[in-house]
Parts: sequence; structure tokens; C-alpha cells
Amino acid sequence: MADIAHAEGESFGLLQELEHILESDPLIDEIGFIHPTQLAALNGEVDVDSLSEPVSLNFFSKDHKLGISTQILFPLYEQAKKAFFDVVTRYKIQGGIFDSPNTRDELEVGVMKHSKALLLLSADLGTAWNSRRAIALEKDALSTYMDELRLSELILSYSAKSDQAWSHRRWVIKRIAGKVPNLQEILRKESELVEKIAERSKMNYRAWNHRCWLVSYMTAGEVLYELKKSKAWAGLHVADSSCFHYRRRLMMRILEAFCSRNASASNKSNEIYETWKELAWNEILIKRYIGREALWLYRRFLSLHWLRHFTMEPDSVSCKSKHTANTSDDGPSIFLDNELHLFSSCSTIPDNDFDDFQAQAMHSATYILWLAKQLPRPQAIELREKLNIGDMKALLSKLCPQRSFLWDSLEG
Amino acid sequence: MKITALLVLKVNPDGSDPVILSNASDVSHFGYFQRSSVKEFIVFVGRTVAKRTPPGQRQSVQHEEYKVHSYNRNGLCALGFMDDHYPVRSAFSLLNQILDEYHKSFGDSWRSAQADNTQPWPYLNEALTKFQDPAEADKLLKIQRELDETKIILVSIQPSILSSLLICLVHMNGCLSQHKTIDSVLARGEKLDSLVDKSSDLSAASQMFYKQAKKTNQCCTLL
Repeated sequence: MADIAHAEGESFGLLQELEHILESDPLIDEIGFIHPTQLAALNGEVDVDSLSEPVSLNFFSKDHKLGISTQILFPLYEQAKKAFFDVVTRYKIQGGIFDSPNTRDELEVGVMKHSKALLLLSADLGTAWNSRRAIALEKDALSTYMDELRLSELILSYSAKSDQAWSHRRWVIKRIAGKVPNLQEILRKESELVEKIAERSKMNYRAWNHRCWLVSYMTAGEVLYELKKSKAWAGLHVADSSCFHYRRRLMMRILEAFCSRNASASNKSNEIYETWKELAWNEILIKRYIGREALWLYRRFLSLHWLRHFTMEPDSVSCKSKHTANTSDDGPSIFLDNELHLFSSCSTIPDNDFDDFQAQAMHSATYILWLAKQLPRPQAIELREKLNIGDMKALLSKLCPQRSFLWDSLEG
Repeated sequence: MKITALLVLKVNPDGSDPVILSNASDVSHFGYFQRSSVKEFIVFVGRTVAKRTPPGQRQSVQHEEYKVHSYNRNGLCALGFMDDHYPVRSAFSLLNQILDEYHKSFGDSWRSAQADNTQPWPYLNEALTKFQDPAEADKLLKIQRELDETKIILVSIQPSILSSLLICLVHMNGCLSQHKTIDSVLARGEKLDSLVDKSSDLSAASQMFYKQAKKTNQCCTLL
């Protein structure tokens, strides 16, 4: 650090202060950009005698939380950017050939140190992430990879939707996948991290996408475990469609295991049972949370998934019959009758409009129409006979008149 | 998290700022540095909404994925900050219950309250935890004729006007739903920006969060 200040003759005081804090506390897990008055207030609460250093005007660091005053953000960023690009240019110019191991170490340390500070201020700077990956690849040490996970988690604490931070995690996991004995534990922690972040940062598609990606590394047993464990959370966050997308991914993975040649009978009945449970649970949620589109979209997936069983081998059907006590012929009919019943209960709009009954009616009507289109011909006809298309048209025109061109084209 | 905060306030008929009688909030799912600001905003929004909830009326205020429900019963007002999809009926039956319990515990002593009360009320803290799952609130649901007689219509505000704090009022008793902008909802020439500026409930840090959120229009806004 001293050499930079000396060489450029500029002041890098803020950067030095930040990097000193980062080095003295490698376990920092949260960062915030705070108003100077808030920083002063936080510093005021600290017991001055217990500190080894004087209280800073620009930074707050306690209990592994780092606060940076908004007043110095811009000069700090300028310093970090300059320092980083200087050192990374010098590193690249060497072309992989260094005068001595010391030079190489010094440059690597410089790149890692300055890129870390810079990324805390500008989370999506690709050059900084790339340089970290290049050096991590060189070192190829587990401790370095774990450091990368820790850094990206820190960055996600303030920039939860940062694409670079999420894909960095995937890169690390791919690197360590074959090399660590406790991969499953790491995956589990990743899954929990996503849930923790999704709690704070709603509608975070990237977080859930990351969680879906993890599924490809899971065994069938782990997938079932995940399905169970994340159910309670999903039930309390019914607006989060990405969460149900994740459940869809889990169910598809179970289906893959089911379809594979090595699948045992118990796997098959597991899969059927899980689908049936999800359907029943989805129905409970639909009735409790009126008019939530994410629930209805999830139901579309589940219905098709369920109906698929009836077109599969007979022995899969006999497994199912344990739970539903029906013959294979009746299975689809019983299911469709249930869906019709659900539709008619959802399409009555009571007088009081505490809840969004109109949206509920809308979603149930479009759902049943969509379902009719997915069915093979004989069952589609059966369903349409039971539905009164004329009434349906009237209902949809009333609920959603701006799409009357769609409802008019329904065959009555 | 389904419920972020539950408040009980005394609403004065003369239109002065409501007094906070009890406040239970859970801000643990917010970032470490945001928590103090969130608490301030809860107090600010609570006071602002309660002040504009006439006696005997219920209101729901929509902001992004949160709803603030408010019920003023003869000057004693209960407020709940809930997730957008917390069923409205469950929310109001909970607020009803809170007012009943408050009367049982404190009688009419609240009528003479002049300053905010910072003493915790154990029942409210327990309610905050217990009713996170709306299924629990549904169990409270008795046939309440007064609830059925009123209609609650939710109105939302164009995002262009506000990104960090939206208030929409709800009219009752037979009105068809009307979409009102915030200007027609706040009284005669009031603007939310100036309310935020003038409010003694909000520190400089909180006002900074508010303005930042407005400018960047991020999803990670405060309330």
C-alpha cells in the first residue's frame, strides 16, 4: 500500500482505512452505506475504552458489520478503482512470467485486496470478478475458494440481485465439486442462504435461479428432503412465484429419478405420493389466499404432472391406487371432477369484497380452460361437456371485458 | 414474514397527531443498518395513516408488497403492517381482537394519554409472533356482522408518484371502487415529500433512505 501512495503521490487514505478493517475482520458478513448522522450515532454507542483504535469518522465496524459513510463513497470508489486497475494492469503485463515468486505474490495480493474493496462498492464490475477468478484458478486452493464464497455472500448482503455475485458462487462450486468430501453440506448451506436472502429481497429471480441450479447436484434423497424442508416457507410466501418455480424444479428432478432405469418401486410411489400431496396442499393454499396467481400457475404444472401418471405403465398406476383407491380408467375423471368442483367454488363472487374474489374467479376460469386444452381429445370433450361454456363466457366477459376478443372465440 | 408490526394509537378528534399507545415490531429480517430507519418509518406511517382513519372506519394502504391495515374504533386505532397477500379479512379480525384485548387490559386509561408510550405490551408482542401464519388469524374469525356490512376497496397509486411510500385510502359503505391518486387522498395541498421532510419521527438517515429509494426505484425499498 505504501508503495502506491509513494509512487502516485496521491492520497489513498480512505482505501487504506477500508482495507485495514477488512483485513482485521475477515468474518464481516454485512455491509451498509449509511448517513453520517447514523454513523455518528452508532459510534456513540460504542465503548471507546474497549477499542484498540480511535473511532473513525468514515467507517463503522462492529460485530462483523461494516458501515461506510455515504459522504466518502465517491472518493473511496475513485481510490479503489485507481489502485485496482493499476495493479491488475501490472499483473497482466507480466503475461504469467514473473521476475520472482515474491513479485508474483505481491501482485496477486494487490489484485485480491483492491478488487475486494472495489467490489464492495461496485458489485457488478466484471473485470474485478474475472481477475479474482484468474488468481483463484492459479492457486487452486480450497481456502481461496471458500474466501470467494464469503466475499460474494458479503456483497449479496447489500446487492442481493447482483448477477455477477451469484454466478461467481456457481463458478466456485463447479471448481470444488469433485474435490471436497462435504459437497452436500455446502449445497445445503447454499440453499439456506438463498432462502435467507429471499426473505429480505422479495421477487429475487436470480437467487431462486441459483437455488434451482443447485438441484442438479442433489441426489434423489436430498431433493425429497429439500421439498419437505422448504414447504413451510413456500406456504407463507405465496406471492413469490420463483419459489414455486423452484418446487417445480425439485418435482421434475424426482420425476427424472423415477423415470431412470434404476428406479425402484419405492421411488415411483414416492414420486406419485409427492405429486398428490402437493396438489392437495396447493388447493388448501388457493382457498386460503384468495386470488394469488402464482398458486394457480403452480397448479397448472401439478395437474399436468399428475395426469401424466395415467398415461404411464400400469404398475405405476397400481402404486397410485394405494392412495386414491381408483381404477386406472377412473383416475383422470375423478381428478377432473375435483378440478371442476374447485373451479365452481372459486367462481362464485360473494357480496363483500374483502379479498380479491374477482381475481380468484378469473384465475380459476382461465385455469380450467387451459386444462381443457391440454387434455387428450376424449377427456377434453368430457370436460367441456361438464363445463357450461356459455356461462363461462359470460363470467369471463364480466370479469375481464378488455379481453372479450378471447372469450368470444370460445366454442360455445 | 407476514406481519412486520402491530400498533395501537389514540386518534384525537381535533386532528392533532395520534399518540402511540403500543408498538410491537419485528425488523430482524431487514439489513442491520436499515433496522433503525424501518422502525422510524413504521412510527411515521402508523401516525400518518391513523390520523386519516376516521372513527368507525377501516382502511387499507397499499405499498409494493406490503399493506397497512387500520381500524379506528371510537378513537382507539389498531394498525397492522402486513405482507401484501395476508388475507384482508384475517388482518381485520386480528385488529379487532387487539382492540378488544386492549380494552380488557387498560380500560379507558388511554383517553388521557398525551405522549408516546414506549413500554412493551406482552400481548401485542405475542400476537405478532402467533399470527405470522394467517391460518391462526382465521381461527379468530367469528361471524362479525359489522365486518360484513362494510366494503373495503383497495386502491393503489401510480408508481410514478411514489416509490417508497404510497398511501391509498379506502372508502366504505356501498361506494364502487374508485382509483384515487395520492393528491386527492391527502388533504388540501399536502404532499408526502413534505410530510416526510417535516416529520419529527424520521431522522436524517431515514429521510435519506426515503429519497434514495425514490430516485433509484429499487425493489429493496424500506417499507
